[in-house]
Amino acid sequence: MKNTKVHWTCKDVTRKKNGKRGELYAPVMVRVLDVVEMTPDVKLIKVEKPKGFSYSPGQFLMVSVWGAGEAPISITSTEGVHNEIELCIRKVGLVTSALHNLKPGGLMGVRGPLGNRFPVEMALGKDILFVAGGIGLAPLRALVNFVLVRKGDFGRAAMIYGSRGPSEVLFRDDLKGWAAKGMDITVTIDRKAEGWRQNVGLVTEFLGKQKIPIKEGYAFICGPHIMIKNVMRDLSLMGMPTTHIVTTLEAHMKCGVGKCGHCYMDGKYICTDGPVFEYPELKKSGAF
Amino acid sequence: MKSDLVLSKAHLSYWLRQLRKEADLIGPLRSTDGDIVFSSVENIHDIVADCPANLPCQKEFLFPQKEEMYKFSPKGTERPGNHKKRVIFGIRSCDVSAVGLMDTFYGGQYEDDFYMERRKNTFFISIACNRPDSSCFCIGLGTGPFLKEGFDIQLTDLGDRHMVQVGSAKGRQMIKGFDHIFRRPKKADYDDQYEANLSSQSKFEKRITLDNVRRKILAGKVPDSFWEGVASRCFQCGGCVYQCPVCTCFNVVDWKDGGAEKGIRMRIWDGCMFKGFTKMAGNVWPAEQIAARTKRWYFHKLLYWPEQSGKFGCVGCGRCTITCPGKIDMATVANRLEKKD
Repeated sequence: MKNTKVHWTCKDVTRKKNGKRGELYAPVMVRVLDVVEMTPDVKLIKVEKPKGFSYSPGQFLMVSVWGAGEAPISITSTEGVHNEIELCIRKVGLVTSALHNLKPGGLMGVRGPLGNRFPVEMALGKDILFVAGGIGLAPLRALVNFVLVRKGDFGRAAMIYGSRGPSEVLFRDDLKGWAAKGMDITVTIDRKAEGWRQNVGLVTEFLGKQKIPIKEGYAFICGPHIMIKNVMRDLSLMGMPTTHIVTTLEAHMKCGVGKCGHCYMDGKYICTDGPVFEYPELKKSGAF
Repeated sequence: MKSDLVLSKAHLSYWLRQLRKEADLIGPLRSTDGDIVFSSVENIHDIVADCPANLPCQKEFLFPQKEEMYKFSPKGTERPGNHKKRVIFGIRSCDVSAVGLMDTFYGGQYEDDFYMERRKNTFFISIACNRPDSSCFCIGLGTGPFLKEGFDIQLTDLGDRHMVQVGSAKGRQMIKGFDHIFRRPKKADYDDQYEANLSSQSKFEKRITLDNVRRKILAGKVPDSFWEGVASRCFQCGGCVYQCPVCTCFNVVDWKDGGAEKGIRMRIWDGCMFKGFTKMAGNVWPAEQIAARTKRWYFHKLLYWPEQSGKFGCVGCGRCTITCPGKIDMATVANRLEKKD
């Protein structure tokens, strides 16, 4: 708990650039460098990193397309590993559809980095289990890369990653790369599919099968609400201390800075108090 | 630094007229259809100074129902901004307290530049309430009927004259250069003010202590079934959130000028009582149940505001009491909770 919210510094590029007027809602326009189609409805958009922009795993951006609107998108790249800012975007609504239409050379607006970050220092020297569901892999990818380049600082790392079907498995190259670096990776899909030779089943069925000592290990989780809820509960029932269980949440947001009220949940703003939360913080709320 | 002065009622319109030379003067005026609303004053004598305590509030002038944030076009963006200087005359103590709460909320680590810009240019001349409405309950919250601090200028009606209390730099700015119409108060003036104060306090019909309500909720004495009961009476009209001088939620929408690539990004009031408020793209819906939404509104005002700023997110203005068709306003619900075992 103690180190989660204080030990981060970031240069808020939006405010810095508009320093004098301090425009809270003014996006900075950045150029799209590359667009990678990952699955039929998910694209990885790489944008230039503005000068002085610095971020940590777990933080997000308010991404904006004039005429369509703004949406909160987690940063899936890692500072020091990737030169660009990478955003993994699934086409689900108005803004994300507009983002999917962007081509290299195009412009998008960003505000941020916003929100807190993963309190990864709590797991120094310890084993870490990552549990991801669907596009929930995107924010965790930033942390996985962060941990793997500092391999000596942490213990073993393992991941359980669940997708709906074989065609929806994201970041295949990264998964291979992580496995090559010694990470124990379990990829699973919800239902049997032709040609799929790996695991089938929900991520919860694979908890405890990694070489991660549950009582001392740490877990970082992201995925659909129901998955987060069940994984946190199961890990805690298996004996993982609740303070070792960390997740990151998503919500409908209009501002990203604690003003619009949409992400408000049990006295907390997911945008400014989160998006990363430890299990004890969420347990109080009825939603988890 | 506070200072007290006395202004004869005969001089009030002169003073306001002079202030209007420097700023847009906003006051309670009777509209053509008979309602009293805050709007720009053309004729000083049209001001309805003895208007009922809970008019549509001044929120509109600091946090407009629809505010243009950015104009965008292929050439770039432009921020219209609002630098209009305003003097708002006639708001009541509860609303002055509400502005204080809004300042806390929109300030802080992330300062809302749109609000702050308007706030910086807005001056208040408030009236200490000597005729509270039957729906008012500021007295139980300390947000009225008379304020000790937080105002720019507070007037107290003493019959033929006003006690004028100056409580801020903005207040001092408004009396500067008018020494000839203000005089120092005498003992009789203070006596009359004291009497007005007492008489006002005796007129309150509602006595509600939100602290008791808060303690009951914290002690877990309010089951979810209570909130389900409250929610079953909610029409989801949003009247409470729109009328509330403390509610701050907004939506941001991009309005496109036809099919063109230009348009306006604006923010409009939003309310947590609406079904789609928390709905995410992809149809994920955290507060889908109406009971969760009404509870959220009450919990925000009764629990989380005190947790975050030490003050309730309610100033007892009673507007939700007047507006709510389902009779599940703050006063009614708080009253029921206070009596509940």
